[in-house]
Amino acid sequence: MSSVYNHPILELYNVGFQYFRNKKFINNLTFSVGNGEFIGLLGANGSGKSTILKLASGILKPSDGHVKLWDKPLQSYKNKDRAKLLCYLPQLLDINVPFKVRDLVSMGLYPYSIPPGITVDEALELVGLKEKSESYIANLSGGERRRTFIAMTLLQGAGLLLLDEPLANLDIKYQIEIQRLLRELKEKKNISIIMALHDINMALQFEKVMLIKDGKVLGIGNPETVLTGNLLKEAFDVGIEIKKQDSGGPYISYENNF
Amino acid sequence: MSKIKISTLILISVLILSTSIFLGPRIINPFKLTGAEKEILISIRLPRVIVAVLMGIALGASGAVLQGILRNPLADPYILGISSGAALAAALGLLSGTYLLGKFSIPLTAFIGASIVSIVVGAFGWKRGGLRPERLLLAGIGLSFLFYSILMLLISISSDESMRRALLWIFGDLSIADWSLIPYGFVFITTGLCISISRAKALNALMLGDELAHSLGFSVQRERLLLFVSVALMTSASVSLGGTIGFIGLLIPHIVRFFIGSDNRVLIPVSAICGGAFLCVADLIGKSIMPPMEIPSGIVTAIIGSPYFLYLLRKRDVISI
Repeated sequence: MSSVYNHPILELYNVGFQYFRNKKFINNLTFSVGNGEFIGLLGANGSGKSTILKLASGILKPSDGHVKLWDKPLQSYKNKDRAKLLCYLPQLLDINVPFKVRDLVSMGLYPYSIPPGITVDEALELVGLKEKSESYIANLSGGERRRTFIAMTLLQGAGLLLLDEPLANLDIKYQIEIQRLLRELKEKKNISIIMALHDINMALQFEKVMLIKDGKVLGIGNPETVLTGNLLKEAFDVGIEIKKQDSGGPYISYENNF
Repeated sequence: MSKIKISTLILISVLILSTSIFLGPRIINPFKLTGAEKEILISIRLPRVIVAVLMGIALGASGAVLQGILRNPLADPYILGISSGAALAAALGLLSGTYLLGKFSIPLTAFIGASIVSIVVGAFGWKRGGLRPERLLLAGIGLSFLFYSILMLLISISSDESMRRALLWIFGDLSIADWSLIPYGFVFITTGLCISISRAKALNALMLGDELAHSLGFSVQRERLLLFVSVALMTSASVSLGGTIGFIGLLIPHIVRFFIGSDNRVLIPVSAICGGAFLCVADLIGKSIMPPMEIPSGIVTAIIGSPYFLYLLRKRDVISI
């Protein structure tokens, strides 16, 4: 979908960050997210994907540079106002939260005094969990739990979703299901999404990919231009090539097939 | 369904509160009051019921809040060392002969001790710009052990008769309740309760984890600090009103959760009301069962409450904060 508003909605400019008493982890990080963009943030374990998402969401404060949301410094927003525009879903979700599906999803309305339109039932319908609305989160499967939290973010109604490995540890069925759901949402509501992932196959499905290593951007753009042999080797320390199948689809070839 | 359960719990609590003043070793008929009975009601029973209710409210609500902040089902208002600090301060006051304030001596020194310990625990629990739940918990446990051991040392080396009174008070003594302390207790406890109820949404979000709470629009450190202050206010005031009474702060929130779930917007007020009603009943039983001897309320609460809690624990599937 072509976006009407082409100005970036999120901008990180020369951002630097270091964890307490450690050496600088992120240096001069610059990138932006346009309206309606769906970006895959790809990198090996420990490459800085979660840190970048936390900087972009305001959970971590940069030591240098700035983060802007809709042209205003992120830190200048009131917490509630920021939550209406930007939503972050962490990778590790506590499975022992003592809430029922419906109660947890309805927390998405916390930033609002007047609900923004979508109802809890509609959000549950969108993620296919309406029949489980009275179940406890602890009694759900991994995929259902993820979908519950995604329903909560939908209810929150933010135009920018920062999702930290939402497909991690899920069966392939749920990975496809959640990806399809997010793409539908992007099409229907023109929301922008940055999704951290470390599966190269998954990254090939994105329109735009950002490849990172040690907190630095190795490349950003469409998968064909970014996921090249050289950059992938640099990012993952393994020789990887993207080849074309006879049918035209891409597949991954490793340096040493085992 | 849950609305019916909440209404039933509240109704039962209100009934208990309104009838307990007339019950006791001697039952008073509210429709045929003699002058002496009026005097007993106003100067003995009513303040005692009010103190029991205030303490129960404080313990029930702060137990619910602490279990949420610390994300630990074993947390209770005393786990932060506030009660041990209060007890030590009261004992030190008694030993140093601080009787200047008369009957205010024990409660006042206890309140000062509890407040100082709250600040010390908060300081130990503070790291990288905010209160860290695991640090708070460990600091509280560490300080509790330290204060209780100093207290035991003082008691073992002291021959002072007033220490017996201090010991009784430490294990929960509502017999000293009178009107003089109620206004102070009321102010601190209602302030703490109002803060905690007004931050209930934030507490729900904090139970999902700091990052999700931030994403939902809450300032994680500010909310945690406010909730900690509310607990410190309620617990300090409760300890100085009638000593330390176990069980309520730990188990009443769990029992309430079994019935109405974990939404803190309902859990905190309902735990407060049930805590108040429960302590009232426990005090009533404690003073009526073998008069003129009184069984401390802390013992009664545990004897009645624990088997019921264990029964619920056996019956329910989902156990969590």
